[in-house]
Amino acid sequence: MITVVGAGPAGLAAALSAANAGESVELIESGARLGGQYWRNLPNSIVVDQQALNHDFQSGKVLREKVQAHPNITVLLNTQVWRASHEEGISILHTISGGTTREIRTNKLILATGAYDRTLPFPGWDIPGVMTPGGVQALLKGNNVKAGKKIVIAGTGPFLLPVATGLAKYGVDVVGLFEANRLRRWIWQLPALLNNISAIKEGASYLHTLRKFKVRVQRGYAVVEAHSGSDGNLSAVTVARVKSDFSVIEGSQRKVVCDVAAIGWGFTADLSLAGNLGLMQQVSLLDGGTYVVVDEHQGTSQAGIFAAGEITGIGGSKLSLAEGEIAGSAAAGSETNTSKKRKLAKFASALLRTYPVGPNWQSWLKPETTICRCEEVTLEIIEKSVLDLGATDSRTVKLFTRCGMGMCQGRICGRSVNDVVARISGKPASDADRVSSAARPIASPILLGELAQIPIVD
Amino acid sequence: MIFFFENNEIHAIAGQTVGSALLENNVRVLRRTRFEGAPRGMFCGIGVCFDCVVTINGVANQRACLVEVEEGMRVEGFQR
Ligand SMILES: Cc1cc2nc3c(=O)[nH]c(=O)nc-3n(C[C@H](O)[C@H](O)[C@H](O)COP(=O)(O)OP(=O)(O)OC[C@H]3O[C@@H](n4cnc5c(N)ncnc54)[C@H](O)[C@@H]3O)c2cc1C
Ligand code: FES
Repeated sequence: MITVVGAGPAGLAAALSAANAGESVELIESGARLGGQYWRNLPNSIVVDQQALNHDFQSGKVLREKVQAHPNITVLLNTQVWRASHEEGISILHTISGGTTREIRTNKLILATGAYDRTLPFPGWDIPGVMTPGGVQALLKGNNVKAGKKIVIAGTGPFLLPVATGLAKYGVDVVGLFEANRLRRWIWQLPALLNNISAIKEGASYLHTLRKFKVRVQRGYAVVEAHSGSDGNLSAVTVARVKSDFSVIEGSQRKVVCDVAAIGWGFTADLSLAGNLGLMQQVSLLDGGTYVVVDEHQGTSQAGIFAAGEITGIGGSKLSLAEGEIAGSAAAGSETNTSKKRKLAKFASALLRTYPVGPNWQSWLKPETTICRCEEVTLEIIEKSVLDLGATDSRTVKLFTRCGMGMCQGRICGRSVNDVVARISGKPASDADRVSSAARPIASPILLGELAQIPIVD
Repeated sequence: MIFFFENNEIHAIAGQTVGSALLENNVRVLRRTRFEGAPRGMFCGIGVCFDCVVTINGVANQRACLVEVEEGMRVEGFQR
């Protein structure tokens, strides 16, 4: 029996390839539908042309149907793994589904828990109406709801294009599309980028559609402040021209009126379970994110545990699929073919180099800017804990200020706190510090009542 | 179907999340924060940030962006 956690592109591909190799597979997914972040689909009660929102909708539908129909695969939806551990080659997964808890023991586990939008703190980012591009996309693709009427899309990365295109097609006024990085970075990476012509064509088709809606990508601009109106909601953002290190070019600031600003800086891997299971992780030189270390066949540092998709490095749905397929075959003990993965990985690395996050985003912060949203910890408080109380790493800052100790367990602020503390203390964040900010005792805070019913043996 | 937010009737389609249905009805502020009383709404939209937490049928700290609406559901924001 092979257990797969996560039913995004990576998990679906892994389940299918393991099942095709003759293994029986249990696929666990916390969401209500298969597909993950990429193939997010509408409930049957809403009938619209989903192909229009995702050019790749059909291939997702085919894959989902194959997984659902496969005699070797059992699909467990609405089932969250809230904690995991690993002893002597056996992984123990604690799941919760509709108030019922279960313990699954497996000697072959494939983790494919994906990623979420990377965000950066800036003045006003906690005003209702400031969102992530992924969140806005999820509202549209999963609920048929437009997040706002006048939307600004900003941040960096190729993902901004499909989000802006989807919104424009659905009649939303995309009042600005601001990409912080400049075009010349493309030219520097051109040879590697030309590795993947179909992805380049996809990007070009988004640009073409956006032109039809009179939306232009403004490169070298960033949203550096958000403003609220009298009702407390977002009313405008300040956009500025930024240098390649993301410092603001003085005098370039202007206000753009909007009711939603979707701002994302790439993605951050969800390493909650990977951390629980003690999988070796490392900080990527490409984007500074922390990822699960895997070998060529997606094997991790723990025997019998494989990892695939965005948790092993950000690379998009095609790479996630390729990695999932390899992980499934490897877990089943069959031959793997890694040539496709290698080619896609090269392209993914080039993209990450094209869309870096400049260190001087920190110059946008004000003393009163919230850094940890959950515990409402401001920059000023963090500064005090370093300068007056002598904290020199994020872990100590966390203990002094509670930043990163709220409900999200540091998922949103963890990475930024590493950077902020490093700047204030003048001491770069160590890899150990970064890996520890991605670790959390439980994968999801579950209801205390439910927790009380579970005997915890540690 | 119909559910209630702070006792106001809200119309939604089955399968939509509480957060998306509220947004469709122009409700963006879901709660106020514990310390500053600052308004908060959906941020990440996929269950990661916990900014959208509301009380649903008396159960606190439910993520509005994940929980799907049910007929007659009673949703309350965190009021100071
Ligand atoms: C909000 C969002 C929207 C995106 N939209 C697009 C898009 O439109 N186009 C595009 O090209 N790329 C998009 N991406 C990029 C996307 O991350 C990748 O392209 C692709 O989905 C990655 O595949 P994956 O299988 O690694 O992870 P994911 O697709 O993220 O799948 C991971 C799955 O694991 C499940 N999971 C995680 N933890 C647990 C747990 N503890 N227990 C049970 N289940 C768990 C999650 O619910 C999820 O379904 C989006 C990313 C995000 C965050
Ligand atoms: S909006 Fe982030 S958890 Fe709901």
